[in-house]
Amino acid sequence: MAKGTSGRQNARRPNSMMLRRTLFLLVVCGIVAFLVLVAKLYQVMVVQHDYYENMAISQQVRETEIAASRGTIYDTNGKILAKSASVDTIFISPAEITKYDEDPVLIARSLSEILGVDYGKILEMTSDTKSWYKVVARKVESDVSDQVRAFKEENNIVGVKIEADTKRYYPYGSLAAHIIGFVGTDNSGLSGIENRYDDALSGSKGRVVRATDRNGTDMLFVDYEDYYDASNGENVTLTLDATIQYYMEKHLQQAVEDYDVQNGAAAIAMDPNTGAILGMASLGNFDLNDYQAVSEEAQAEIDAAESDEEAAELLSAAQQLQWRNKALSDTYEPGSTFKIITLAMALEEGLVDDNSTFYCGGSTNVLGRTDPLKCWKTGGHGSQTLTQAIQHSCNVALVQIGQKVGAQTFYKYAEAFGFLNLTENMDATLTAKTGIDLAGESGSIWWSQNTFYDTENLSQLASASFGQTFTITPLQLITAVSACVNGGNLMKPYVVKNVTDSSGKIVSANEPTVVRQVVSEQTSAKVREILEKVVGDPVDGTGKNAYVAGYRIGGKTGTSEKVAQDVAGGPKEYIVSFIGVAPADDPQIVILVLLDTPSNDCGVYISGGQMAAPTVGKMMADILPYMGVEPEYTDTEKTYMDKTVPNVTGLTVEQAKAALQEVGLNARVIGDGDKITQQLPGGSTVVASGSTILIYAGAEPSAEQEQMPDLTNLTYETARDRLAAYGLYLRTNSSITSTSQIISGQSIAEGTLVEHGTVVEVTLVTNDTSMIGRY
Amino acid sequence: MNYNKQRLPERQETAAPVRGSFDIPFFALTLLLLTIGVIMVLSASFPRAYYQGKSPMYYFLRQGLFAAAGVCFMIVFSKINMAVYRRFSFWVLAVSVLLLMVVPIIGTSGGGAKRWISLGFTTFQPSEIAKIGVVLFFANMICNYKNEMKTFKHGVLPFAVITVAIVGLLMLEPHLSASIIICAIAIVMLFVGGVKLSYFVSGIAASGVLVFIAVKFIPYVQARITAWQDPFADKSGDGYQVVQSLLSIGSGGFLGLGLGQSRQKYLYLPEEHNDYIFSIVCEELGFVGAAAILILFALLICRGYWIAMHSPDRYSFLVCVGIMTLLSIQVFLNIAVVTNLIPCTGISLPFFSYGGTALLMQLAEMGIVLSVSRDIPTRKTT
Repeated sequence: MAKGTSGRQNARRPNSMMLRRTLFLLVVCGIVAFLVLVAKLYQVMVVQHDYYENMAISQQVRETEIAASRGTIYDTNGKILAKSASVDTIFISPAEITKYDEDPVLIARSLSEILGVDYGKILEMTSDTKSWYKVVARKVESDVSDQVRAFKEENNIVGVKIEADTKRYYPYGSLAAHIIGFVGTDNSGLSGIENRYDDALSGSKGRVVRATDRNGTDMLFVDYEDYYDASNGENVTLTLDATIQYYMEKHLQQAVEDYDVQNGAAAIAMDPNTGAILGMASLGNFDLNDYQAVSEEAQAEIDAAESDEEAAELLSAAQQLQWRNKALSDTYEPGSTFKIITLAMALEEGLVDDNSTFYCGGSTNVLGRTDPLKCWKTGGHGSQTLTQAIQHSCNVALVQIGQKVGAQTFYKYAEAFGFLNLTENMDATLTAKTGIDLAGESGSIWWSQNTFYDTENLSQLASASFGQTFTITPLQLITAVSACVNGGNLMKPYVVKNVTDSSGKIVSANEPTVVRQVVSEQTSAKVREILEKVVGDPVDGTGKNAYVAGYRIGGKTGTSEKVAQDVAGGPKEYIVSFIGVAPADDPQIVILVLLDTPSNDCGVYISGGQMAAPTVGKMMADILPYMGVEPEYTDTEKTYMDKTVPNVTGLTVEQAKAALQEVGLNARVIGDGDKITQQLPGGSTVVASGSTILIYAGAEPSAEQEQMPDLTNLTYETARDRLAAYGLYLRTNSSITSTSQIISGQSIAEGTLVEHGTVVEVTLVTNDTSMIGRY
Repeated sequence: MNYNKQRLPERQETAAPVRGSFDIPFFALTLLLLTIGVIMVLSASFPRAYYQGKSPMYYFLRQGLFAAAGVCFMIVFSKINMAVYRRFSFWVLAVSVLLLMVVPIIGTSGGGAKRWISLGFTTFQPSEIAKIGVVLFFANMICNYKNEMKTFKHGVLPFAVITVAIVGLLMLEPHLSASIIICAIAIVMLFVGGVKLSYFVSGIAASGVLVFIAVKFIPYVQARITAWQDPFADKSGDGYQVVQSLLSIGSGGFLGLGLGQSRQKYLYLPEEHNDYIFSIVCEELGFVGAAAILILFALLICRGYWIAMHSPDRYSFLVCVGIMTLLSIQVFLNIAVVTNLIPCTGISLPFFSYGGTALLMQLAEMGIVLSVSRDIPTRKTT
């Protein structure tokens, strides 16, 4: 077209091809391009809106956690067992250190000085310049973090930060460590109540959600902040009594030392009427405030390890061992303590009564056994009444009682007492747990019903009758024995009394729960009566070492050979135990003590009666007065009883002698003055009856120290007189029931240097030949 | 030099004794976009100004000042007769080429490239002058060659030589986006100027080869391609800008967070008042607001082409088409970059992005289009 028009006007104007091409451009650049852009915007802004918005919000919003304060754990009397306090976490932000050009060397050196963290380690952290969060130290006390704060301000440092945290404190250290449990660095409960009640104790963290700029500071003019309140943790009150727990741990520890117990020890105290746990101890224990630390012996072994891996393994094993709650997690063959259960079922079934007699010739043949089943007393117990059979802990008598009961009935009662659950599958090994509100409970192991009910082979029933060939937890035993003595009700054991919120309102409470009535009140009364005779009878009672003067205590000993060890062919190892009930006429407390593998070289004959019984006795001697149980002493007991030294300082020599005489103490006057200027031991000290008190009339006591002599196997009076020669004194922490008792343990080790007038506590046991045996 | 001699008689003939008023819709659309743009600079830039310790109004006031000056420029440029532009077109291009040659020597650096010349109170990019220079001078050449435009010797070769020379200089900086725009403008000018479509197709093919070479052998181009394909793969590195831009745009939603309510501008999105200002527009005004702004741009561009098609002479027509295409390409490339439709390249959004001299140039260009609109005879009848 342009070709055809040669006129100037036309040539100057854009030709039609140009206009066409321009129209094309208009469509492309003015319309199509924009449609493309609008389509893309629609895709990003409308279709993918949620996706991008979520990503944007997640980078624009910073959440700050508000720590919830962890609840407190109390004992039954409100004593604090575990509480939380504010501490700080110190961390550095290498990204900001770089950004604000702060001196990493200065920071590393100063933090290392204040916090005691390795300088090189901190310096290495600062080199990770992309990181915003490198923890230098956790659980820093506020006075230390104040120093960090001062350092920050002084040098105007941004890259060092302080964050609030909480730390758990356990005021009693190792007391009831397995029950209370501990928390990890993140404050979550790892064991015990801390773990089991973690949800209640930890509360819920609060959050502050803020819109921030890229540097993490609040966005200007943008009002976007959400606040979620932290709710503080709830408080947990235990049925545990810290005082009872203390006495239990003290005497259990003493027993472990006296008898050189190799494999740990456990003790449980239960209120038989409610199932409430009053104390539960497991040794060796550990300090909750430093739960990672192991015992010195274990540490020495770890230090001697050849490689790091071996050391780590040893450490882990030692920790697992010390954290294990033996009373709950270990199963064992109870041995003779289980005879209480066999007795109760036979009484309840009316198969035995006061008129029953049992003959023991030292052994008995059992259908299915090739060799006769032996009683612990080789010569036999002869003819015995029911009470005597239990007093003697006679295996042969118990086999006879068990066979009267019969296998089916025996298992029916075993189930009723909570030892096992019968299953449809007759070939399955049987098990059960008490369901206590603590983590780590193991289940029992019993023969399958087909094996146990075998009419051709009664050996399982025979052994089970005196507590062997099955394993149970100590907790199961004490729960069942409580049922036997409390009127017949099997209680569900529990350790948490209640959970309260921070205002003290009860959120939840554990009420005593009767699982079922297993035996009648009459049966229970009979069991109590017989058990009291096991302890209280100075002639026939195998449990007499648990006797506490003034108190009615019932109980039963137990000594069981560790079968696994027997099979392995090593030296014989035993678990010795004693379960005590007091007061026997109206039980308020049941205590079970179990010592796993006392040493053969400890000097005391290994048996429940010689080792566990006195331990329970000593516990009872402390706990019963604490519980307010009134003692009633016999005249003999009053004579033998330890005496409280009167304060005679300031009196004349004659008056002093008379005052001491009156309470059954002798006096030795030193010096020639008229009045008493000093006395050893001082007033209110408790010492053995017949001790000679040193009274000084003008003279000064010698400053010399004496070596504590070895008192083991001496009678109380011999020991008293031997000590008197050194100016030392003794008292018993069990009970003197007869002058033939001998000393099996002393609170101050032989050879220790002590001052004149020092009083040593000794454990007394009856150790006549009739008492030698594994019962 | 002989172009000037040939041009003189034409100038006398085109000098219309009476020039009308400029095109009101075009002027109004320009002012509207400019106003929205300046307001968005205020919204987008105040956190940056605040964090830099400046007055929150710092960027806004400077941009406002340049906008006011730019409107004056636009009106003044609209008064200038098109013949004057034609007479000086060679010198505009010559000066810009000269400046491009000195940029590598006296230029100021930024982001790994030397693209700016400092004037003390402000800086400017010589490539901006080169763009309008190419439009003005190519239009002149096309008018002079008239029917010879269909030949390779006149219709392609001289244009190609000039374009390659300018692009060569731009690559020294380096300045990829300006090179692309100059190439595109050159192609469009020749396309409208009547070059045979076969040459045109081979030209596009040649550009394709150049692009391929660039993608294959220039490392920073390669990195951008990778970041474009999956920006989230390296969202704190190469993909950071695009990711932050997408988060801004995406969180705008249908109606937006409201003017001034962007959160991404709080140091998350880089260049938020500059190349990426449209992301903030999307976040605050939503899809509705963003689409409305795109429609305004589309209307302005269509109106510009309409003016071109109604222009009384070929030179005005070509200049007008060139300027409107330049505007369209810049708007398209900018928004395509911020939405990750194409790989990242630094192109500012006309009338919106912060930058005084660029804004002055853009408004002056609009002034030229308005000048063309004064010569449209049909306007007098309406």
